[in-house]
Amino acid sequence: MITKQLLEHIEGEASVYFDIKDDKVDFATITFPHFRGMESILKGKNALDALVITPRVCGICGHAHLMAAVRAIEDAYKNAGFEIKLTQKAQKIREFTLIMEMIQNHFKWLYMVIIPELVKLISIKLEKTPLKGAYAASLSAKAIAVFGGQWPHSSYMIPGGVTSDPTFIEIMQARSQLEELIKFFEKETLGISLDKFLTLESCKDFNGFSSDLTNLEKGLIETGMHTKGFAKDQFIVLGEHGFTNSSKLKGTRTFGINSKYVSDTDAYSPQEITYAKNALYKNEYYEAGPLGRMLSQSVPLIKNMHRRYKDSAYSRVMARVFEIGYLLEYSKILLDNFDIDEDSVVTVTDIKQISATGIGVVEAPRGPLLHKIELKNGMISQYHITTPTQFNIGSSTPQTPTPVQQAMQGLAKKDALFIFRTFDVCSVCTTH
Amino acid sequence: MHSKKDNKKKLLWLQGVTCNGNTHSFLNLPYLPLLLSKIELLYFPTMEALYTFEEISECKLSCDILVFEGAFDPELKRNDILIQTMLEHYSKNAEYVIAVGSCASFGGIFKASAPQRNSGLLFNESERTGPMLEVDQKIINLSGCPIHPEWLGYTLNMIINHQKILLDEMHRPRELYSNLAHHGCTRNEYFEWKVDAKGFGLKEGCLFYEQGCRGPMTHASCNKILWNEVSSKTRSGTPCFGCTEPDFPKQNFFNTKTNMSIPEDVPLGVPKRNYLTMAGIAKTFHIKRLEGKLIDYKTTP
Ligand code: SF4
Repeated sequence: MITKQLLEHIEGEASVYFDIKDDKVDFATITFPHFRGMESILKGKNALDALVITPRVCGICGHAHLMAAVRAIEDAYKNAGFEIKLTQKAQKIREFTLIMEMIQNHFKWLYMVIIPELVKLISIKLEKTPLKGAYAASLSAKAIAVFGGQWPHSSYMIPGGVTSDPTFIEIMQARSQLEELIKFFEKETLGISLDKFLTLESCKDFNGFSSDLTNLEKGLIETGMHTKGFAKDQFIVLGEHGFTNSSKLKGTRTFGINSKYVSDTDAYSPQEITYAKNALYKNEYYEAGPLGRMLSQSVPLIKNMHRRYKDSAYSRVMARVFEIGYLLEYSKILLDNFDIDEDSVVTVTDIKQISATGIGVVEAPRGPLLHKIELKNGMISQYHITTPTQFNIGSSTPQTPTPVQQAMQGLAKKDALFIFRTFDVCSVCTTH
Repeated sequence: MHSKKDNKKKLLWLQGVTCNGNTHSFLNLPYLPLLLSKIELLYFPTMEALYTFEEISECKLSCDILVFEGAFDPELKRNDILIQTMLEHYSKNAEYVIAVGSCASFGGIFKASAPQRNSGLLFNESERTGPMLEVDQKIINLSGCPIHPEWLGYTLNMIINHQKILLDEMHRPRELYSNLAHHGCTRNEYFEWKVDAKGFGLKEGCLFYEQGCRGPMTHASCNKILWNEVSSKTRSGTPCFGCTEPDFPKQNFFNTKTNMSIPEDVPLGVPKRNYLTMAGIAKTFHIKRLEGKLIDYKTTP
């Protein structure tokens, strides 16, 4: 018999239809029932309007949408013969604010979603403190606002650079938000210093101290999450950034990748209308997000995790927490090497001269985000968005399961529901 | 299950057609824990609260403050229940219905996805033809895309403290929306002397003349109560897009609409002819200080 389960406290909502046999999930399909029509809203508008409209696709990763949109427009410039070369300064500011958005997302997911859901499954003491997540996220948002004016829904990137012109004071302000965030992460989440955390090489190292992180780790082991939730063991990282390698991974082996091979198909949802599409790379399903990103960077701890527990729910959760630390460290470098003499924006040709297509790819908190734009005299004739959740939480047939469908198979329903959330689901992005 | 002993106001947060931006903006409120300790959260989209959405959608409970985020769509269902049914049920006993964000206030960006159907709770853009006319006295509009967290913080605190909230004709609290986004902008002096920004990525110059800034026509306290406590769109060189007004979103955000090089819209309450005369005079002044860079890192030894 097929039973429906409403999933809340993800970004938006989803329904999962479970087919249960002998108390185990035989198969599950996923429905995203809401729709907003962003791509059609964009049609016929000036290309630059995408910089204001697309952040409104999503309340938690709007900045990633902004960056994908600006990259798509800049790519169209390039394809029209007007290549734009950003200054180092503009690039660094963009990367820094993107990273801050990723971090706020991970903190909220950890404290508002994962810990409260894990508490329902375990016997050991793990305190629910959702407001810790909100506090850390608000520090990240402040750091974004220093350069971007506000968060959520900043629109401070434009073709050629960024609209802000920070002085040393602003860089110091951002730096102090970052310090505060690192202090919070060390004291509240890790229980050890960030430097120490980043040198851990084995899962065994978690035994030496006690904190939210180690309690989480114990909870994952107690619930057997290191032996459950295996997906495809193949990952994609598409966005080009200083903090990651764009590549395709089979296990830990990396291969080259080209975003032109990304395609999408209608999701399979026999019970109810869904507005989601599945995203594929060369017609195959891949897992997207921090686990793949950290493996692509050959982080020793994550490689050790993968050796022991493969792409289990454990590895997926711990990689996302690890990525917070990794990105915090990288952000320090970004802010330290800042040439304030450079221009924030370089002059570009009037958008009206541009008739071309462009693609903008970034790593959003949950994985690759792609915006494809088609311009006629600077006006949008087509806009197409592919989001990370479309890679992870696709809904396909039993013959070709998507990462999440595979990860839930053969498990008790309560475990499957937790594993669903380990992918950090965003329904609003998916049904843009 | 919730206890009645401390008589805290019961708050329920429902969503229409939305991006979750208001939810996330609210989570940035600096005094969030203190505020939440003063109310009872029946349901909140991103955090566990007293009830599950399944329990809420049965429409058997009641709340004192109903917060609604997103555009209203009469056909939208959540958990198979029309959101309209939930709104009708929960607004009946609520003291206040707070429309958070421009979608819930006027239709906002998600009106565009189904223009014939979607609207705000009380207003459809600026027309009073929304679905909740019957309870219009209870409705407070906190427009903005998204809301500024402190605007909701203010409104909830006023309600908790039994203070009267003065509203404007669009049902927005006067204390928050009497200002214009232009008030407190660091570029005001450039505005006065008609010195435009020579492009983006500069701290000098006003964004009104070329870059599409709607600050002088937009009721909002973004430059008075800073975003995330640190900045605002115009401070970071981005024009104000007028996101708190019923006509948001307009088009060509980064461009000022002009007729024969005269801005089509002039500052609120100023007769166009007078504005142009004054602008003409102001332009004849050449104020050296406003012509160059404020700090020139490149040429200063
Ligand atoms: S940039 Fe906008 S808000 Fe600032 S002074 Fe100019 S018109 Fe006013």
